[in-house]
Amino acid sequence: MNKKFLLSIILLGTLVSGCAGNQKKSGEAGTPDAKDLASLELKLPVERIVLPNGLRVLLMSNPSLPIYSYYTFYDVGGRYEGPGTTGATHFLEHMMFKGSQNYGPGFFDQFVDSNGGSNNAYTSFDSTVYYQNMPKETLEEMIKIEADRMNSILLIPLAFESERKVILEERKMRYENSPRGQMFQALTQEVFAGTPYGGSVIGSEEDILGLNRERMLEFHKTFYSPNNAVIVIIGDIDLGKTSQWIRRAFTPLSKNEKLAELKTDYNREEVYRPKAKMNPEMRLHGESPRPIFALAYRGEKLGARRAYVMDILASILGSGESSYFHQNYVSGAKPQLSSVGVANYNLKYNGVFFVTGELLEKTSLPKFKQTLMKDVSEVCIKAIDERSLQKTKNQYLVSYYNELQTNAGVASFLGQRESFFGDYMTYKDELKTYNSITLAEVQVVCREVFGSDDNFFLSVWEKHPKKS
Amino acid sequence: MKTFLLILLITTSMNLELRAQENIKRFDWDGMEVVWLQDERFPTYALSIYFADGALADHPQRRGETAATLNLLTAGTRRFDHRAIAENLEFYGASYAPYVTHEYSTYSISGLTKDLIPTVKKICHLFADASFPEPQVNIEKNRAIESLTSLVSDHGSLASRAIRELSMAGSAYGVPVSGKIADMKRIQPTHLSQKLSYLNEKVQKRIYLTGPESVLAVQRVFNEECGWKNQKDLYVRAGVEIKIEPQDKLKIILIPVPNANQAQVRFGRFLTKSMTSPDEVVTLTSDHLGSGFTSVLMTELRTKRGLTYSTGAFAAAQRDYGRSGISTSTKNENLAELLNVIKASLKEMSEGKINTDHLARTQKGLAGSYPFRFESSMNYLSQILLLDHQGRDLSELYKFQERVLKIKQDEVQRMTTNLFDWDQMVLVVVGDKSLEKTLKEFGPVQVMRPDSVL
Repeated sequence: MNKKFLLSIILLGTLVSGCAGNQKKSGEAGTPDAKDLASLELKLPVERIVLPNGLRVLLMSNPSLPIYSYYTFYDVGGRYEGPGTTGATHFLEHMMFKGSQNYGPGFFDQFVDSNGGSNNAYTSFDSTVYYQNMPKETLEEMIKIEADRMNSILLIPLAFESERKVILEERKMRYENSPRGQMFQALTQEVFAGTPYGGSVIGSEEDILGLNRERMLEFHKTFYSPNNAVIVIIGDIDLGKTSQWIRRAFTPLSKNEKLAELKTDYNREEVYRPKAKMNPEMRLHGESPRPIFALAYRGEKLGARRAYVMDILASILGSGESSYFHQNYVSGAKPQLSSVGVANYNLKYNGVFFVTGELLEKTSLPKFKQTLMKDVSEVCIKAIDERSLQKTKNQYLVSYYNELQTNAGVASFLGQRESFFGDYMTYKDELKTYNSITLAEVQVVCREVFGSDDNFFLSVWEKHPKKS
Repeated sequence: MKTFLLILLITTSMNLELRAQENIKRFDWDGMEVVWLQDERFPTYALSIYFADGALADHPQRRGETAATLNLLTAGTRRFDHRAIAENLEFYGASYAPYVTHEYSTYSISGLTKDLIPTVKKICHLFADASFPEPQVNIEKNRAIESLTSLVSDHGSLASRAIRELSMAGSAYGVPVSGKIADMKRIQPTHLSQKLSYLNEKVQKRIYLTGPESVLAVQRVFNEECGWKNQKDLYVRAGVEIKIEPQDKLKIILIPVPNANQAQVRFGRFLTKSMTSPDEVVTLTSDHLGSGFTSVLMTELRTKRGLTYSTGAFAAAQRDYGRSGISTSTKNENLAELLNVIKASLKEMSEGKINTDHLARTQKGLAGSYPFRFESSMNYLSQILLLDHQGRDLSELYKFQERVLKIKQDEVQRMTTNLFDWDQMVLVVVGDKSLEKTLKEFGPVQVMRPDSVL
């Protein structure tokens, strides 16, 4: 699972309570008191509602502070974009804050800011997520606003053009002027070439410049329907009233009757399968004074057992100062890198597993590549043992608890599972899976990953020639 | 409606104060002060060891000694090498990291309560026996130097590092707490051992701890294994009065980097203690100017003109000094327009041309955000630590909401001049060298190489 996803795999007992509030004692019913992953037991008092139009809603009360977190997950991301429209989903995410039928331009941000809340959104290849952290007395109004912008958005031409410029600035900041952003984009484009993941979530400059509001309105109408959304609200809420407000605001919204058929077409597994072997190597010119690199292998889709094993493999190899690659390349007697990391990035229908790092001044890039390729052929024997496996499971346990400190953490945790797997309670299986993973299993997957000749070495460096 | 909201907010504040105070207890552990924030939700803990001295104590030729000492505690002891130490702490799932400011330092640890005692025992072992083996120290020094060198490709981080140094140039606070590359090269293991002895034996320490009641069992480990007792008479860095010479006009510095099509823009100002008070007016002013999606700068730069993806303003204080600043970016062609809009926005606010409704919304928003300060125990504990360091009463935290709601518009106007006077600030732009021409429209430009701030 990707790191963000992994970190949010957490457990919570009855509640996430603020520290100023009445705090339950450890060990009381519903609170987690596990000593290890195996003994974790979660009791999440979630009320799940499904409206006739298909909208799914998860509610959980935590009355300790007068605040709540509100998450909306739309099952639409960059993978739904066709040629010439890369960046459309992300552009639409920006425009969702620019006014809807009953709440004009500027209202949303004013409402959030003037009540002391905070909000933002993000778009990935698979989904678009909106979130607000707000004081409790704003909930009824917030529900109405969210329903209104799900129903219709204004896309006022002036705001549309202004936001186009903002997105081009974002693109410059994240990718054009960042060697790491440049590398990550090139990596996914090569690994997922020929599949719906082979584009770019932020979009190409050309496509961003060419997007028009008619296309975006169509996109909104298709994908921002109640049967394509999950809402999660956690905090100081009255479950009965909240449920009533939700029903009143969202029930009138029509479902997209054609969505299931459309998605069946988009979600055909075969279109996500690799079309060809990856190019063995790519050198990109970028303004990095030391070479940065990524060595990528085919990954796994979200939710597969093998994806969980690859999480553990990535952690053993690259998480923390005691990890194998850190000791070998960064802190050991003969360091070659100033930093190293290993990531297992899972998407809904595909994934990538990669090692990344930055070379020290005196390290030769070709020689390091040779060393790395040799090392990965031996790493499954040298790096993985019972202690490193147990260490990783211990670290996951702590991560879980840390993630559950806030209402937002819990909302994100529940919403991701409901949105991706259709059932927020899949966390139970996930925990069982992590806990059941054995040393032999990690070693087998390790050999499969690093034994594959379908891999791709990418480097970015100021000394690489510019493309003509 | 407004009266109702005021009453509601103030009532919330009073309730929170009562409830929050119930969970905070102060102890004397054999002469060492301990603040415990009780949190029974999870079987986890977080703690910070506070040292009443920071980077100001570093040798002028070896700035960054304190940070290097605390960072390299895990480099090795007489019994364990770096790999063994890291493996042991990470096996528990523990996190551990120092944080050094000019005035004070902390070392923070967190993990599962069941592993608290062995983890803190290991940390005490490091404080008692860290030997800073030269080969490992050299590896880590080289790594730190390489990371700084690479900062030239991270324009935003380079600009932020530069503005901090250049807006406080000439004062001891202008030097980065982790030192510069030249400092790092001069630091030797013997200097680190001396600094560690100083922190262990001479400097006053306090413990800030959060977790369930069982975490209090760690007292014996701190007292016996770290040997930290009777801290009362140990050294506490004394407060100093800072004087800042006024500037004639905005100081402009360009740091050219190759092939950048976007300029990273930072404004900064060094503030005296008196300029950062009262803190609720400082926060309201900087929030109104540049916090959230409806701030003055966000509205003018992003919403109305699409000049930038993000912008923000801040003002914050330690005990003896403070800093204010503005951060944004824009494509090269738009730099002049962006700077003109910022200049006009600051001028309007300092002349009192402040939209009353907008300010009222910011004020209500700042007051309304108050409960979020307590959502995370570690965040709450950090606020207590800072108030203690500043010598301020905890009640100031609880009265914040009430004080925010009493602020008048003319106070914000005056504070804008205090914090964000165009002529008194330093402007750093990291971007293409061709931007020098644009910047000259705003005054004389000093061009500095990126490595001059590394």
